[in-house]
Amino acid sequence: MVDIYWRIAMEGDAPALRLGDITRGGFGPFLPGSLGPGLRAGASDGYGPLDYMAEVARSTEQAGFVGGLMPSFPQTDDPWAAAAALAHDTSTYRFMIAFQPGFLHPVQAARMSATLQAATGGRVVYNIISGGGGPQQLWWGDRVDHDDRYARTSEFLDVLKGVWHGPYDHEGRFYRVEGGALPPELRGQPFPEIYFSGSSPAAIAAAGRHADYYLSWLEPFDALSEKFDLVRRHSDTPPKFAVRVDVLARETEEQAWEEIERGWERLGETERTPEASESVGWRRGREFTAGTGDSYRDLEVQPNVWGGFNRLRPGPLFGLVGDYHQVAARLDELITLGVDAFILAGVPHLEEAQRVGRNVLPLLKGKPS
Amino acid sequence: MTRFHITVPTRAPERVELPEFVTDLRPPDRGTGHRLVGRAAELAGLDGALVPFDPGGLESLVVAAGLLRDSRRIEVIAEFHPGIATPVYAAKLSASSQRYAGGRLGWRLVVDLDPAVARAQGDFLTGAARYARAAEFLTVARGVWDGSGFGFDGEYFQVLDGGLPASRAPRPFPRVYLSGTSDEALELSANHADVHVLDPGDDPALVPDGVAAAVRLPVRAGPDEQVAAEIRTHLDRGVTEFFLEPAAPLDDAYRIGQRVLPLLEQEVRHG
Repeated sequence: MVDIYWRIAMEGDAPALRLGDITRGGFGPFLPGSLGPGLRAGASDGYGPLDYMAEVARSTEQAGFVGGLMPSFPQTDDPWAAAAALAHDTSTYRFMIAFQPGFLHPVQAARMSATLQAATGGRVVYNIISGGGGPQQLWWGDRVDHDDRYARTSEFLDVLKGVWHGPYDHEGRFYRVEGGALPPELRGQPFPEIYFSGSSPAAIAAAGRHADYYLSWLEPFDALSEKFDLVRRHSDTPPKFAVRVDVLARETEEQAWEEIERGWERLGETERTPEASESVGWRRGREFTAGTGDSYRDLEVQPNVWGGFNRLRPGPLFGLVGDYHQVAARLDELITLGVDAFILAGVPHLEEAQRVGRNVLPLLKGKPS
Repeated sequence: MTRFHITVPTRAPERVELPEFVTDLRPPDRGTGHRLVGRAAELAGLDGALVPFDPGGLESLVVAAGLLRDSRRIEVIAEFHPGIATPVYAAKLSASSQRYAGGRLGWRLVVDLDPAVARAQGDFLTGAARYARAAEFLTVARGVWDGSGFGFDGEYFQVLDGGLPASRAPRPFPRVYLSGTSDEALELSANHADVHVLDPGDDPALVPDGVAAAVRLPVRAGPDEQVAAEIRTHLDRGVTEFFLEPAAPLDDAYRIGQRVLPLLEQEVRHG
């Protein structure tokens, strides 16, 4: 079985990829057409970002996705708060909560997770990230160095699992616990599946120990395949593999590229300056597109694989652009090279979940037998 | 304005077994106990719901986020201790709850945990240092909340160039509830509390200037007028907020809202 997730925007959503301005939820000021909150007769309408996110979650679960990745960055809302609030707005939607060990104590993470499992009927999934580093990490108040953060992540997950199945004693480098355990009514809740992110050697070593799924951004397929091999070599029991893929799929290929072109044309005024990061995944992405020309089409590094998404919205570089059949065929190729789960995304997350669920997912063929 | 908060249960009642011949269509219990009490507070006109820190029960910030989603008016006060997370992360999570719920989240910090309970939570700090850490925790949380470029280099926490993103959805800092009668506790309250929560026998004169006085009030069986009289006694001594600790949370939430508060209409200009 292949698990297909759909991202949910924790930073707010734009009405179209080509338009950029975040006017659904999010953090920006009131703009014409803003919603969540919006303005009615000059006053806030009393709705908030979560009211729009609830629409995305419900749309996602109905469109054929198993749940949503809830990213966490300084400029986003917090996934724990969102998942806890959306638990009862949804019925099958899995909340893939992105978080960095170190910000929460593992005992607290265990208690929050088990409480959420009880509230949702076991729909919590973890996306463990260990931090891109640099100025961002100090923003969070975290002074542990890049490679040490993976050591901490490992210890954090050991303690979290220990407490989950406690009582548990631990005396380690980062954490100490004496008699840690979940209360009786939370014991026996399923331990969340772990999607583990990180492209550096330290990350890949830690992933080998803890990941159910090793999660990567989309990269050119050969590079992705090599990366998976590297993870396999570093694991006693290889994890499954997951890829985060932006999708811009339309009835025809021309329509899809026209969306990109129109977004590209407005870059003059609004182009984002991609932030510098210690993230190895980020640097890899930059290398794949280095030396390409000035035209947006130059960033198509292999058929339908386009490396310019980061110019149109915050986040990773690569995604798929094409007609419904092409996009489905590329996803099938990824399944064939070993992908077990996808996190797809498109802007706006609400309507694009419907579009992809209706037009792309039914075309998937899976691994050739 | 006088305010009344009810404590919600953090442990699920034991599941009742129905006789086999009775058609049983009950959905799985996903928190009916606390959700009913939270909505009771909302419907019966109380001002808030407290989700206590209960090491033997559900986690309070998660429960509070759910109760906020279930309600429109009440404040939902989550009780936790400062060892659960970095103050930046506690602030970030809470800022989202504020954005989602129109600014109705409160924080009640428990500082002097029983040492064995604290160690099971992974917290080995003891004595007066706990108050020093709590002060840093609240300073950092408030610092990143209100400003950009916030820096802090303390004994327990550090931040460089911190600050939560601005928000067009209302996002006030959570109302802060503290308690305790030691010098350290009262000093912490003087510097950081909006409300100081007393035990029933404590002297309200202890509460620092500029901080509202609240009292924990076990709700006893007996005539409604008796409960009203007890509340009056506290009101006369300057208490303005009540943390009702019910024996039967659901029944007591409706009872207080529908039968006791109307008896106090003269004394309580109830919001």
